Amino acid sequence: MMKKHLTVIARDQCIGCLSCMFACSRTWHEALTTSKAALKIRSYIGSEGNFSIRVCKACEEPECVAACPTGALSQKKNGALQLDAEKCVSCKICVESCLIGGLAWDEEFAKPLPCFQCGACVRYCPNQVLAMTRMQPENAKEETDNVD
Amino acid sequence: MWTKILEIDLTHKSFRILEEQELFHQAMGGTALATHLLERYADPTGDPLGPDNPVILAIGPFSNILPIATKTTALFKSPHTGELGESHAGGRLAMAIYNAGFGALVIRGASSDPVVLDIDENQVVFHSARALWGQSASATERILRARDWAQSGKKSILRIGPAGERLSTYACATVDTQRHFGRLGLGAVLGSKKVKALVIGGNKYQKISDKKRFKSLYDSIYEAVVSSGVMHKYHDLGTAGNILKLNQNLGLPTRNFNQPWFEGADKISGEAFGDRYLSQQIACAHCQCGCIHLATLREQFHEEHGFKTFQVSYDFELIYALGSNLSIDSPDDILRLLHKVEKEGWDAMSLGVTLAWATEAFLSGLLDTTQTNGIILHFGDADTYLKVLDQMARQTTDFYRDLEKGAAFCAARYGGRDFAITFGGNEGAGYMTGENTFTDWLMGPRHSHLDGAGYAIDLECLTSDFSLEEQVKKLVAETRFRMLLNSLVICLFARSVYLEEVILEGLNLLWRPCSSADLEIFNQETLQRKYAFKMKCGWQPNLIEVPEKLSRVITSTGKVDPESIKKRAALYWQEVGL
Repeated sequence: MMKKHLTVIARDQCIGCLSCMFACSRTWHEALTTSKAALKIRSYIGSEGNFSIRVCKACEEPECVAACPTGALSQKKNGALQLDAEKCVSCKICVESCLIGGLAWDEEFAKPLPCFQCGACVRYCPNQVLAMTRMQPENAKEETDNVD
Repeated sequence: MWTKILEIDLTHKSFRILEEQELFHQAMGGTALATHLLERYADPTGDPLGPDNPVILAIGPFSNILPIATKTTALFKSPHTGELGESHAGGRLAMAIYNAGFGALVIRGASSDPVVLDIDENQVVFHSARALWGQSASATERILRARDWAQSGKKSILRIGPAGERLSTYACATVDTQRHFGRLGLGAVLGSKKVKALVIGGNKYQKISDKKRFKSLYDSIYEAVVSSGVMHKYHDLGTAGNILKLNQNLGLPTRNFNQPWFEGADKISGEAFGDRYLSQQIACAHCQCGCIHLATLREQFHEEHGFKTFQVSYDFELIYALGSNLSIDSPDDILRLLHKVEKEGWDAMSLGVTLAWATEAFLSGLLDTTQTNGIILHFGDADTYLKVLDQMARQTTDFYRDLEKGAAFCAARYGGRDFAITFGGNEGAGYMTGENTFTDWLMGPRHSHLDGAGYAIDLECLTSDFSLEEQVKKLVAETRFRMLLNSLVICLFARSVYLEEVILEGLNLLWRPCSSADLEIFNQETLQRKYAFKMKCGWQPNLIEVPEKLSRVITSTGKVDPESIKKRAALYWQEVGL
């Protein structure tokens, strides 16, 4: 069976409520905020109602893992990233290496916020914008288009 | 919950952070907390547009933490009514104030030059806003959104349009994407202080203390919002769905409250907007409902293929104020008017009622073209109303300057008091349902349809039999309960989600131990504090005035009897218990 991973399936349906970001922060950090979320929802300036949604795609060969100079960032079999905080030197190269902006940054501790592919954000999305999908290699192009 | 207050002194360009644990423990947040702070900082006899009038912004113990606790409360002395000014707005402001680590902001004094307040967790930077002065509310937001200032995390932008700069007494203050502190002139108070905008953000947060209990509470609210159906109508058609309902119940104000039904209601209904103009719904931060309805209007500006497209938000009150009450039955025209209103930063309701008064005054001969600069006012003519808005924005004559001060001010100067639809100085909302509504607007703390939802009681009376005394008791009970809702501060659209048992569980988890009896005392004390402030400003419960015209028209519940309203007002005051 192919692994399941987080996918933006209907960006245009996003209402900008940030419920997904709150859910991620609550679930993994017990934090009542959006700032600990591993995904990012942003408004495009001057374009009301148009939201940018950046999620970790659980790439087959993640650029962020390859770029990490200390081996602090690694990927599990299910596609989830994991961080060894003690090895992390807060260089932020991992975040910069992700071209789609799918890796979030924790301003408080100066560490990346890896996505664990748990689906909490999907559970709390009221408008079916996000889904956990099984990715086939041939679907990769289509799903890349959906991430924006 | 946060227990810090950020106090900003514009006169000296300074600030300080106050730790107020005891006050938050007593006053919870939102409207109750802001009322305490208004008592502390405001001079009830002072000039609302003077430096001593504070602007207080407060969030509550559920803000940013539970779904749909999305509102921020603003309290000030109103330049429109001369007494209690209170208005609530959504957007991302409550989240941003929370993220900055504050439970409330107090803005005092006045700047000598235009400023933008740039606020984060630790500091306030006073940026010169000379270049922004004169910019529309919409442009100001776009410009500031692109600035990379001190805030980390998500930021919120509160700003005024040119109407606030001109001190229009019903200028609003706009938050993020077309959310507003709409009523009672916060925009003018900020304008008098030369505050063009406030940008706030931060990264502070709290940890969940009892994960299992919190999850149970959160999920029960979330499911009620998303799956129970109780909030579906707000997402689907939105409040605009009330156009046809009120029209069918003879409650939709038309042509300056001449009649309670509009022959063009079908054309401007929520269904008509939803089917042909709605481009999407969006939400305030942490609201999974998404009730903000954005319409898209495409206009041709060149005879070949020159088109422009703009988005503007709409809801019931806006369609009533610039639609049926001005006899405009074209959604295109309503959206064009709203687009202009959005840029200038007026309260659409007060503006619409003032335009309706002006039209009736013109038609009855109280005004002529010497005052209107040659413009002939008549109902249903959107192009002319757009010209009027342009004249107001350019302040071409004394008359157009006066229009920016509202219907009561204009009626005192030009006549037509009997058809100036104002209550305690504030223009009426979109309900012509009967005596409960008018009593609500006359006696409610902020003269608003949101005080006690009198319209709902009127409509309930169509199918149920309540004595006059029972109706008044219901009205005051609702007004009193809303002290709590507005202290939390939840969006009132979620009032059927936030039932008392839900609120109590939330407060016990996030504020302090309290019981149902404690809340009753809290609500009553908060209500009485508001009236005490109003009375210090000069408001008197026995000096109420119903626009005479309303005794000559039909409403959902029949004709309105001024004597009956006086009786209701007296009973209302007894219930308040001051």
